Amino acid sequence: MSAPTVKKRRILSKTDDEQSRSSSPKRESKKAVHVKVKREQSPYDEEKEVAARDKEKDLQLHNETSTKLRNLMADIHAYKSKEQSGKDDEIDEKQKEVALLFVTLKKLNRVSHLRCKKARDETQGAKQKVDNLHLQLQNLLYEVMHLQKEITKCLEFKSKDEDIELVDVETFFKEAPPSISKPSTTKHDEHKLQLARLDWELEQRKRLSEQYKARQGNRDGVAKSIHQKKDYLESLQPRLSNILEATIPVQQHLSMPFNEIRSQHQLAKLLPRPLYFLYVQANAYHEACDGSMSLKIEGDAETASSTLSASNEDEEDSDSDSEETLSESKRRRKTMGDKLEEQRQKILAKHPLQVIMTLRFKGGTLLTLTFNYMMVLQIITVNVDIKLGGSVQQVANSASGLLSPSNLLSLLFPGDDGKESPKTTNAYQLSKIGMNDLASYIGQIGHPYRWVQWLGGLDFLSDSGGNTVKASAALSNSHMESTVKALKSRVKARLTLNQQLLSLEGKTIAVPAASINLFPTKICSSLKSWTTITAEDFQVIPFLRGHPSADRLDDSHTIFQAMMERGSAKLQVLILLGLDYPNQPPHFILNLQWVGQRNSNNDLHIRDMEAELNIHYGELIGKTTVNHLMTNQLQRVLMCLDVYLETQQGRRRDEQAVGGTEGPTEFVMEKMYTRVTRGRNRSKPFKYNSLQGYFMQRL
Amino acid sequence: MAMSYEEQILKEKKQLHMSVFAQCISPDGKYLLAGNNYGTIAVFSMRNALASDANENSRKPIFTFKAFDGAIFALLSTENFLICGGSGDIKAWKWKDIQQKAPRVAWSLSVPHSANFGAVETNGLAYSRQDNTLYSGGGDSELHVWDLESGTCKHSYTDHTDYIHAVALFNTSAQVASGSEDGTVRIWDTRTSGEPVAILEPSKHEECINNPRDKWISCVAVDPADDWLICGGGPSLSLWHLRSLSPTTVFEAPKCQPHVVLYHDDAVISAGTSPNIYHWHVNGDSKLTTPCTAMDVYSVVINTESEANKVLCSSGASSKIDVYTNFGYKAFSLDFC
Repeated sequence: MSAPTVKKRRILSKTDDEQSRSSSPKRESKKAVHVKVKREQSPYDEEKEVAARDKEKDLQLHNETSTKLRNLMADIHAYKSKEQSGKDDEIDEKQKEVALLFVTLKKLNRVSHLRCKKARDETQGAKQKVDNLHLQLQNLLYEVMHLQKEITKCLEFKSKDEDIELVDVETFFKEAPPSISKPSTTKHDEHKLQLARLDWELEQRKRLSEQYKARQGNRDGVAKSIHQKKDYLESLQPRLSNILEATIPVQQHLSMPFNEIRSQHQLAKLLPRPLYFLYVQANAYHEACDGSMSLKIEGDAETASSTLSASNEDEEDSDSDSEETLSESKRRRKTMGDKLEEQRQKILAKHPLQVIMTLRFKGGTLLTLTFNYMMVLQIITVNVDIKLGGSVQQVANSASGLLSPSNLLSLLFPGDDGKESPKTTNAYQLSKIGMNDLASYIGQIGHPYRWVQWLGGLDFLSDSGGNTVKASAALSNSHMESTVKALKSRVKARLTLNQQLLSLEGKTIAVPAASINLFPTKICSSLKSWTTITAEDFQVIPFLRGHPSADRLDDSHTIFQAMMERGSAKLQVLILLGLDYPNQPPHFILNLQWVGQRNSNNDLHIRDMEAELNIHYGELIGKTTVNHLMTNQLQRVLMCLDVYLETQQGRRRDEQAVGGTEGPTEFVMEKMYTRVTRGRNRSKPFKYNSLQGYFMQRL
Repeated sequence: MAMSYEEQILKEKKQLHMSVFAQCISPDGKYLLAGNNYGTIAVFSMRNALASDANENSRKPIFTFKAFDGAIFALLSTENFLICGGSGDIKAWKWKDIQQKAPRVAWSLSVPHSANFGAVETNGLAYSRQDNTLYSGGGDSELHVWDLESGTCKHSYTDHTDYIHAVALFNTSAQVASGSEDGTVRIWDTRTSGEPVAILEPSKHEECINNPRDKWISCVAVDPADDWLICGGGPSLSLWHLRSLSPTTVFEAPKCQPHVVLYHDDAVISAGTSPNIYHWHVNGDSKLTTPCTAMDVYSVVINTESEANKVLCSSGASSKIDVYTNFGYKAFSLDFC
C-alpha cells in the first residue's frame, strides 16, 4: 500500500510544481496547497462524487476559476506595484479569494486524478477481457485445424477390399445365393452390399482353391502314369534293336538296304532345315517319278549333331550374335589380323553335312550336284561336277567353256547367274568385315543359284523385309519337278551342243534326220571355218559400228564366227550364243562380202535373212530337235545365202539381156522360185516350201 | 499380262527386225495408224505425242491390233473406214470401232489367188470418192477396180507383166496410174475396161537409168492439175509431162531408189533406200534433205486433216516412226511396240 501512496505523492508534487509554475510562482500559495492535499487525503467518498460529476462542467469550472484567479493575481500585482497604501486589506481580501480559488482548483485536480485513475482501471479491465478472448480464439483455431487433419485422414483411408476385383453387381445378384446377397437389405445399403459381395468372393475363392487342389492331384496322377509308360518304352528300345540286329542277315540276303536308308534318314534329321527340305523333296521325287536320280548325305554326323544343338540354342538371336562378333572383330582389327581372318573363315563356314544329288544321263554322263548350307550367310550353294560318259568321245574346243562347271547350270532360269547371293543382307555382312562380293568366293563355296534356294524352300524375293527367312516345304515341293526337268534338259542341250560344235569344227553342218525336210537337198554354199572369238574381238569388228544388233551382246554370251562361201561371195556369220540356249535362241548377225560389204545396216535383204534366223526360228524346232536349233539355223543361213545370190543373179540375167556390162554370170538360178521379188520391199523368197520344193517369200 | 521369257526375247527381236510399210491419218486428223511387216496395226494419238508434256509413253501406240498374218503394205483412210491392203484380202475397219479400241473387220474384199503360191499381196490402194470406188494393185499384176457399194470387183486391168507396186488416182480426170515391177507406169481410163491410155517406161530413157537391171517402178504421184506425173523406183525419180509423155526433169538423189513420192503444196517430197527425206522444187532442184532413223523409208504421210497436228511422219525399215513438226528436222520418233 505504501508504493502507490509514494507514487501518488510524487505525481501530486509534480502536479504541484506544474501548477505553481503555470499559475503562480508564489511560495505561500504552494504551501497552502500542500496543506490542503494532506488534509483531503483521508476522507473518502470522493470516488462516488467523481462518478457523479460531469466532466464538461468541471472543465468549465476550472476555466472560470483559473480566469478568476488570474484576474485576482493581476489585481494584487497591480496593487503591489503601485504600492498604494491602504490597499493591504484589499490585498488580503483578494488573497483570501485566491486561496479559496486554489482550494477549488485543488479539488478539481484531485477529481481529475481520480477520474484518470478510474479510466485506467477500466482500460485495464477491458484489456484483460480481450486477452482472454484472444486466447480462447487461439484454442478454437487449433481445434479446427486438428479436426480438419482428422477429416483428411479419414478421407484418405483405404480399405483393402477396394483392391479386390469383384464380380459386378448384376452378376453378383444373379449368381450369389440369397443367403449371401440378401437383396432386401443390400439393395439400399451400399456398405452392406459391398460386404455381401466380399463374402461371395471369399466363397468362390474357396471353391476354386479346392478345385485347384483336386486338379493338381489329377495331374500328378497322369504324370506318374506317363513316367511309367516312358520307362516301359525305354525298355522297349534295346529289345527292338536286338530284333533289328537279328534282321541284318536277312536284309543282306534279300539285298534290301533298309538299314542304309535308315541311317541316311537319321543323318537327314541332322541337316539344317533348308537342306532337309531339299533332301526330303528330292527323295520323294526320286521315289515317285525319277529313277535316274540318286541322293546321298555325306559329312561328319557328330559335328553336325553338336552344331544342331548349338544352333537350336541361338536360333533366335543368331543374327545379333554374329553381329556382335563381327563388330568385336572390327575393334581388334589393327592388332589381331588373324582374328579377322578367322571371322572371314567363319562367315564362309559350311554346314558339316552336304546333300549330294546325282543325275544319270543316257550315254553314261553323270551330273553331280553337291548342296552345301552356309551357316552364317543362310543360303544354300551348289558345287557342280559333270563326268562325261563313254558315248561323248570328245569335247569340242569351242564347247569347253559351255561344259565347264561354272557355266553349265548358269542362267537355268532367267537372270540367275549364280554369282550374287540371292539374299541381300549377305553383301552387308561381307563388307562389314572387309570382304569382297560373294562372287569372288564362288570357287570356295559354290554357286548360290536361286533355284537352289527354291529347292531348299528359301524364297528371298517374296520376303524382302524379314532378315531371317523361314524355309517352307511347299516352296521346295513346287519347284522340285520343274527344276529337275530344267537341269536335265540343260545338260542334254549342252551335250547335244557339244556334238554340234564338234561337227561344226569339222566344217560340216550335221542336220538331224528329223529336220532334213526343212531344207532343199542341194545347197551350194558351204561352211569354211568355225571359230570362237572373244568379246573384245567382237567389239572391234568394223561393220558392227552402229549396227542395231551390236548392243545385244552381254557377258554371258559365247561368240562364234563362221565363214560361209559360195564362189566369190563370202558370208561372215556372227553367232551370239547365250548360256540359256536353247531357251534363248542364238542371235545371228550377217555380213556379206560380195560387191562391197552388205549387212543389215545397208541391205534390207540381209536384214530379212537375219529376221529369218532370229525371229522365225520356231519353224526349225521339232519335238526332238530343240537342241539342234543352232545347226538348223546355220543350215538355213546357207540356204538363204543361196537364195540371196541366185535371186540377185536373176536380175543380172535380165541385165545381160539389155546388154549389161557388169561381168559374167556367176550364180545360176538353180532353185524354184515362185516370184523373185514381192511386195513393196521387193523381198526375196527366203522361205522354203518343203512339200513342193520351191522357195517363196514370207508373207 | 506377264510374258514368258521366250516371248519377251522374241518381242525384242521382232522389234529389231521390224519394218513399217504403211501409214495413214484418221479423217479427223487425231490419229496416226501404222502397219508393219508382222501384220500389226498400231494407233498413235497425235495429240498425246505432240503435247508439250509428252513423254516416252505418249509416243507409244495407244493400242495395237493384229490385222493380217503377213505384212501390211498399204493403208488408206476414207470417211468412215480404214482400208488395209497386205497379204491376202483387202480388209476394212470402221473408224468408230477403232476409236473405241474395239476393231472388228467391217468388210473385206477377196483378191483371187492360186492355192499353191500363197496369198497375193496388195501393194497399192487408191480411193475415188465420187463413185465410191477402190483401186488396188498387187502381186497378181492386175489393177482391180472395186465397187464398194456392192463389194464386188467391177473389172481388172491385166496388162502389167509383173506385180504392181503403186497406184495413183488422177485428181480431175477419170484416170488412174499404176507403177509396176515390170518397169512401166500404165495410165488407165477408169470409164473403159480395156487397154491402157498410155505407157511410160522410165527404164528406156537414158537420163533416168541408174543401173540397167533395176527397172521397177515403186512409186507414182500425179500433180493436182493432172498435167504432170512423178514416178521412180529402180530408175531415178523423174517428172513426166503427161501430154507429151516425156520426162522433163530428173530428181537426182544419189544412192537412193525412191519408195515413196508425194506432192505437197508446190513441192515434191520423196524418200527411198537411204535414211533421208528429200524435199524438191518441181524444177528438180533440191530444196531440203532431212535425215531420218530408218535406213529405208517406205512411207511418208502429212497430216493435212488437222491444222493443230500438221506434221510429216516417215516410217520404214525400223520400229521408229519419225515425226517432223516443221518438216525441216526430226522432232522425235514414235515407237512401234
